[in-house]
Amino acid sequence: MHVLSPYRPELATIIEVIQETHNIKTFRVVLDDPEKMRTFNFRPGQVGQLSVFGVGESTFVINSPPTRMDYLQFSVMRVGEVTQKLHQLNKGDQVGIRAPLGNGFAYEDMRGKDILFVGGGIGMAPLRTLLLYMLDNRDDYGNITVIYGARSPLDLCYRYEFDEWRAGGVDLILTVDAEFPGWQERVGFVPTVLSEESPTPFNKIALVCGPPIMIKFVLYSLRELGFEDQQIVTTLEKRMKCGVGICGRCNIGSKYVCVDGPVFTCEQLREMVNEL
Amino acid sequence: MKTSLTTELHEKIREVFTELELMIGWEAGFDALHTTPVFIRSADDVGRLTWGLLCAQNLTTYLGKDLTLMAAARESNKKIGICVKGCDSRSIVGLIQDRLIERDRLYIIGLPCQGVIDWKKVAARMPISGISSVRIAGQEVIIEGAAGERRFDLQELLARRCLRCLYPNPLISDCVVGETVAPRVKKQDVHQDVAKIEGLSLQDRLAFWQQELDRCLRCYACRNACPFCICQDRCIAETRDPKWLSQYVKLPEKFLFHFIHAMHLAGRCTECGECERVCPMDIPVTLIKEELNKITAELLDYEAGLDVNAVPPLVTFNPSETGL
Amino acid sequence: MVSASMYIAQDKLTTTLDELAKKFELWVPVAAMEKQRVVRFMPYQAGMEPVLAEQSGLGPKNALLPQVETLLKFSYRKDVDDPGQKRLQLEAPEPPKQALIFGARPCDARGFLIFDQVFSHGPYVDDIYTARRETTLIATLVCLDEDAACFCSSVGSGPADMEGSDLRLTPIAGGYVVEALNDRAQPVMEVLAEPASEIQLAAARKVQEEAAQRRVGGADLTQSRASFLKRFEDMGYWREMVSQCLSCGICTYVCPTCYCFSITDEMKEDRGERIRSWDSCMFYTYTAEASGHNPRPTRLERYRNRVGHKFGYFPEKYQGMIACCGCGRCIRGCPVSIDIRRVAENLKESSDACA
Repeated sequence: MHVLSPYRPELATIIEVIQETHNIKTFRVVLDDPEKMRTFNFRPGQVGQLSVFGVGESTFVINSPPTRMDYLQFSVMRVGEVTQKLHQLNKGDQVGIRAPLGNGFAYEDMRGKDILFVGGGIGMAPLRTLLLYMLDNRDDYGNITVIYGARSPLDLCYRYEFDEWRAGGVDLILTVDAEFPGWQERVGFVPTVLSEESPTPFNKIALVCGPPIMIKFVLYSLRELGFEDQQIVTTLEKRMKCGVGICGRCNIGSKYVCVDGPVFTCEQLREMVNEL
Repeated sequence: MKTSLTTELHEKIREVFTELELMIGWEAGFDALHTTPVFIRSADDVGRLTWGLLCAQNLTTYLGKDLTLMAAARESNKKIGICVKGCDSRSIVGLIQDRLIERDRLYIIGLPCQGVIDWKKVAARMPISGISSVRIAGQEVIIEGAAGERRFDLQELLARRCLRCLYPNPLISDCVVGETVAPRVKKQDVHQDVAKIEGLSLQDRLAFWQQELDRCLRCYACRNACPFCICQDRCIAETRDPKWLSQYVKLPEKFLFHFIHAMHLAGRCTECGECERVCPMDIPVTLIKEELNKITAELLDYEAGLDVNAVPPLVTFNPSETGL
Repeated sequence: MVSASMYIAQDKLTTTLDELAKKFELWVPVAAMEKQRVVRFMPYQAGMEPVLAEQSGLGPKNALLPQVETLLKFSYRKDVDDPGQKRLQLEAPEPPKQALIFGARPCDARGFLIFDQVFSHGPYVDDIYTARRETTLIATLVCLDEDAACFCSSVGSGPADMEGSDLRLTPIAGGYVVEALNDRAQPVMEVLAEPASEIQLAAARKVQEEAAQRRVGGADLTQSRASFLKRFEDMGYWREMVSQCLSCGICTYVCPTCYCFSITDEMKEDRGERIRSWDSCMFYTYTAEASGHNPRPTRLERYRNRVGHKFGYFPEKYQGMIACCGCGRCIRGCPVSIDIRRVAENLKESSDACA
């Protein structure tokens, strides 16, 4: 952030709230300062610290791509103090934003490759940013496959966009954990569906995001399929406060998740101390 | 400084070591004035243990908080060995009363205790840099310092808690090392320190605590040293959801923390005095719990940590109770 | 650089401090009024007797990184255009005043050098700390008072180390010789009345030379990173070394090089502050995530991280600089007397020989 103090948020106003699932809401916000909004730029995968003043801050990926700057989007799962309060906000309410923070995806290095997104639940949020960015720069990337799963169809986010993704040239494979009335697509855990699809690792980057247990089994499947660690990209979560590499708490060894991450390749993770 | 008591301690422990998952005791610390708790897992290491007037730490604090200890003992079907002074043994009784530990999983070495010295009292009387040994001879403490030998009355150097100790001998044990010790204080004098504060006007009493607690850093050493604060990882002082205390380090927050902490210990505190010993700012926090214990004794005729079968009155409800 | 050396006689110390206090927010080590043992740095008030003959229990960390500090203020005000709505207003905190830390030791000054790396050298610059640093002078004693817990030489410092200090105070018989170490110190020198005599200067030089040659502490701990990483997974080692840890915050609070903080909002009705407050990596809540997961669930992992940060991760990021100044306060303050030297020294033994 270009301001004098890395701790000072920009004020922003909520222009739309979308109820994605029973405990996930998507917020679309616009910075109150029109000049700052106009000049705001970021890399897909970078995050923002959202403030609910009086309650605190929480970290969320900037969920919309830099190619679509009518608003900044954040998808929020209600788990704690700050997110609880966020979920009570409506269109017209103000929040604070400190963004962009973090490293973002290394999308330049992915040009000319085939892309495999594997997401679970709210894990689709950071993946969506890069997915839309790639769709907006379609010729730079090869085949794009998305395997996205959740407990039930009602737990899938961005359901209203699936047609758009398919129209943009994405092979979208949706799955839910168990049969559900009216559900026509796949049934099965994400790692299982991944194994069934059996994608080739050749010239491919795999981006994985979701609950820790899903990531664990997906990584196992990917390695079985022959993916190497530098081909697999994921995002880490840690308790965060300053978001700018100063307060000390989000470290894994000498790396700070807020500054050196939250995006890491499996090769980078392997070199870090074992403290996830 | 190896004494005959220490030798006897080693022998007793070696005799039973095969029954033990581990033995919790003290070993020599970073200088001649300090010991540090040690978890002995091999019979070869028993010789590291020491016992004497520097063994201030109440080792029972680990029993209720480190759940891996009891779990390991259950899995190997062995016992956790632990060295306890009189005051520490009261904590064990209290922990059993609170149903936080299993008696059958413990091997308790009881150590009748003449008191532990407060190293800060030594530092107030002589330079501590260069002290090479500390030993007791009768009722005298002999300290070898940089400028030669100094002798002090044991009474001069004892921690405040030892000066008011009614229970120097273990109340619960599987074996005892050492001779019985007579209490240093009479029962009617046990609340003298608290009486001094009670003697102040309410205004002066408030001023006293404001002055003392002003130094508090919210380091939570007092809470973590207490054997009974087993909820330390989820303490109201730190949780934000629900939020009880702000993060300010001003008097209102410090009052709230200390008095809520004391209230949670009302009827449970066994006055081991660790809270006061560990405070880096020399705040006499045990006084608060002593006051609550005094009230509990007067109103409910109950003291914690004396009888494993007694049910703490503040966790019971008796409909026929009168006078409250 | 030529700069006059001044002298403060012991019996003129408090009047000198009274003068300095007119110009600076003055931090001095004092014993708590009621209890002579605990020495901590406090803002000077007339009548205070500074304690300069022994190390403080709580150093001058508060002068540059207050235990509680406002990062910004916020308030909800009625929107002029739409009185039914409330709009947010943010305010920056007050700028810092000119300050002087009088009676620090080399270990205290070293702590601030570590803070400078983290707070001022990027990639994000903490403007609040940096402003305080720029407006604060440090007058450091040549240290003659080490005890069994001190080990400053083991971590690359020493009793005469003036790196990061603006003035040197050398204790001699009867008082202190004061020397400016850089131009920033001039405003302090201007307040002092008595120039140091040749004899006093010579006495000070002797003290400085002796201190510079004295080694405080044992084994060199500056090359521990590789052995730490080898020991990382060896939970038997951490169990052996720190099972007695109580997980309180004393070591981190009294440590001059520890800087971790939390950020919380404190609000009443429509107004509030976002404050930062000292946190501790030794607390369970430090890394406890909203999901319930905690990557450092016990004191073993937390202490391991503490040692790793000080002797491994920090030097990796900052050209070998150790995030420990060897002051020994953690050792003296620890309720169970854990000795961080022992934990760091034994890293290099083979995994089955810890004693």
